[in-house]
Amino acid sequence: MKPILPSRTFAANPDFAGETLEAAPARNRVRFLAIGLLAMLLLLSARAIQLAFSGDPTAEAHRGAVIAQVERADIVDRNGVLLATTVRAFTLTATPARVWHASETAAALARLFPDMDRDATVRRLSDRSRDLVFLRRGLTPNQREAVLSLGLAGIGFAQEERRVYPQGALAGQALGFTDVDRHALAGVELGLDDQIRRAGAEGRPVRLSIDVRMQYALETELDIAARGAHASSAAAILLDGRTGETLALASWPVVDPNEFAGASEAARTDRVAGDVHELGSTLKPFTEAMALQERLTTSGELFDVSQPFVLDGTTITDDERILGPVGLREILARSSNIGAARLALRVGGDRQRAYLARLGLLAPPTLELARSQAPIAPAARTRRDIAGLGFGYGLAATPASLAGAYTIFTNNGARVAPTLLMRAPDAQVTRTPVFSPTVTQQVFSYMRSVVTDGTGRAADVPGLLVAGKTGTAEKLGDDTYSQDHNFSSFAGVFPANNPRYVIFLALDDTGAGAAGGAVAAPAVARTLRRIAPMLGLRVEPRPPTH
Amino acid sequence: MGKAQLIRALQIAAGVLVVVLVVGLYKAKSDASKAESHVRELHRAISETEASNRALNAEIAHLETPAHVQELAQQHLDVTPGAQSAALPESSMASRLPAPRERQSHP
Repeated sequence: MKPILPSRTFAANPDFAGETLEAAPARNRVRFLAIGLLAMLLLLSARAIQLAFSGDPTAEAHRGAVIAQVERADIVDRNGVLLATTVRAFTLTATPARVWHASETAAALARLFPDMDRDATVRRLSDRSRDLVFLRRGLTPNQREAVLSLGLAGIGFAQEERRVYPQGALAGQALGFTDVDRHALAGVELGLDDQIRRAGAEGRPVRLSIDVRMQYALETELDIAARGAHASSAAAILLDGRTGETLALASWPVVDPNEFAGASEAARTDRVAGDVHELGSTLKPFTEAMALQERLTTSGELFDVSQPFVLDGTTITDDERILGPVGLREILARSSNIGAARLALRVGGDRQRAYLARLGLLAPPTLELARSQAPIAPAARTRRDIAGLGFGYGLAATPASLAGAYTIFTNNGARVAPTLLMRAPDAQVTRTPVFSPTVTQQVFSYMRSVVTDGTGRAADVPGLLVAGKTGTAEKLGDDTYSQDHNFSSFAGVFPANNPRYVIFLALDDTGAGAAGGAVAAPAVARTLRRIAPMLGLRVEPRPPTH
Repeated sequence: MGKAQLIRALQIAAGVLVVVLVVGLYKAKSDASKAESHVRELHRAISETEASNRALNAEIAHLETPAHVQELAQQHLDVTPGAQSAALPESSMASRLPAPRERQSHP
């Protein structure tokens, strides 16, 4: 490296000449340092100028964070009506060291919250070993204001979030609930837990297929029917049979998810997808369809069902004796067990089971609920079992499964699995072919006769063509079936001129004589009267009662 | 201008630049801190507003429940919504329509 020459002054002075030569490397180092510093300064200046003119490159990331994220998304119905949301709530806390008089404070709080355990509160307020104690969770802003107005020393609040269900008891079992820490415990909350959390992170709601207006109509009529029939429980479901979307589903007794903790087990139970029953005569249309599909009978064949049918020591009878030879239409319209048993025997156990599987009756329902009860469906080993299955005994399934099976009448013989999620208008719907369109339409015309001339006349709604089938299944006691305890139901499809919707309504543990046609069919008619206008269907008004 | 003067001028310029940068950096940090504080405040306000909106939406949904609407309709209008269809048969339409007005005669 070439040394930098010393300045003229120092070079001319011989006293400093040697010293100058020694200082030269140090001076060089200083100069290099100065040049380095200058370069750094220039770089910093350039970056400062760039930042000054280009704006904040991280601004976009900040802007994205403004999306209102929540832990759990809102749940809304198909029209955007709020079903579940998360709101701010407060936890009532206390600092024992600052509480003046524990018993007086507890008494004041007990006046606001009567269910608060006063002795336990006094104990907590007196526990000076703890800095902070929690007295009550989930306070609303109004309750917080009420506590604040008491002016109690040592009482405070911690902010938290709380899941609320603004519709109250409407669709209570279907929505389910969360615990105070917002962990899903039942219903859609648990069945769609991952989806609800994902949607919450994206700041969008989860849209269900149900419609609160139809839900309310269905629940109201189910309540009236269940009370009138002295049922122990009841269930109903309304489907758009073309898409499988559940427009309403109701369990009785009802439960308010806001107060789930205090509800009885009976009220908490979802009866639509979480409870199985032998379905009775509502399976008969499928038995006829099986026989027709396998070409084991024709619409013109006549059956003598006037005499009891004795089969391997068991006597099969009809509720009301049917005289004279009858065809398939009358067997269905008058709900002949004998006729259905004979047809089932022709079909045979293997084919019968294969059809029941394709109808979705041998698998748990597909609704997105926490609990989907698997059916009780032992293989039919004897002729008696096969005959019994023909008219709805020996197979216990959920109302949701049966409603799903009835979608074959809205899809030309193909089944659509029910869902609780709203489908996009152009969404692909998976259809499972079960019967041919010809067979389906033939049986469907018989189901229309059930309502016009048969056991389901009470389900008729003038102006709205309803087809369907009644069901009255005796319940199994300790050893035998009892006529005093029935599972009474009606499964309907409407409008019959363009079948699209499926409704199933069932009342459990109704008394003697409470046939499906007498207690469930009228409830279906009342429900359809209310919801038909919501579906854009026209019904004739009721004649004046005065 | 001699070399020494040039170096001195450069040193003074660098010194000024250092001072400007230090002051600029301080101001930038100070502004950033204020902006950050403002953003935090805005986020808090958004969060508060969002919480209020959620509570209000829940309140609105509660007040608009079909049961509540039906109760109000029965109380104030003496009608039961949805109890029966408002559709009329064609035969009774004429009787429900207002009577046709008589044509006014013009002088």
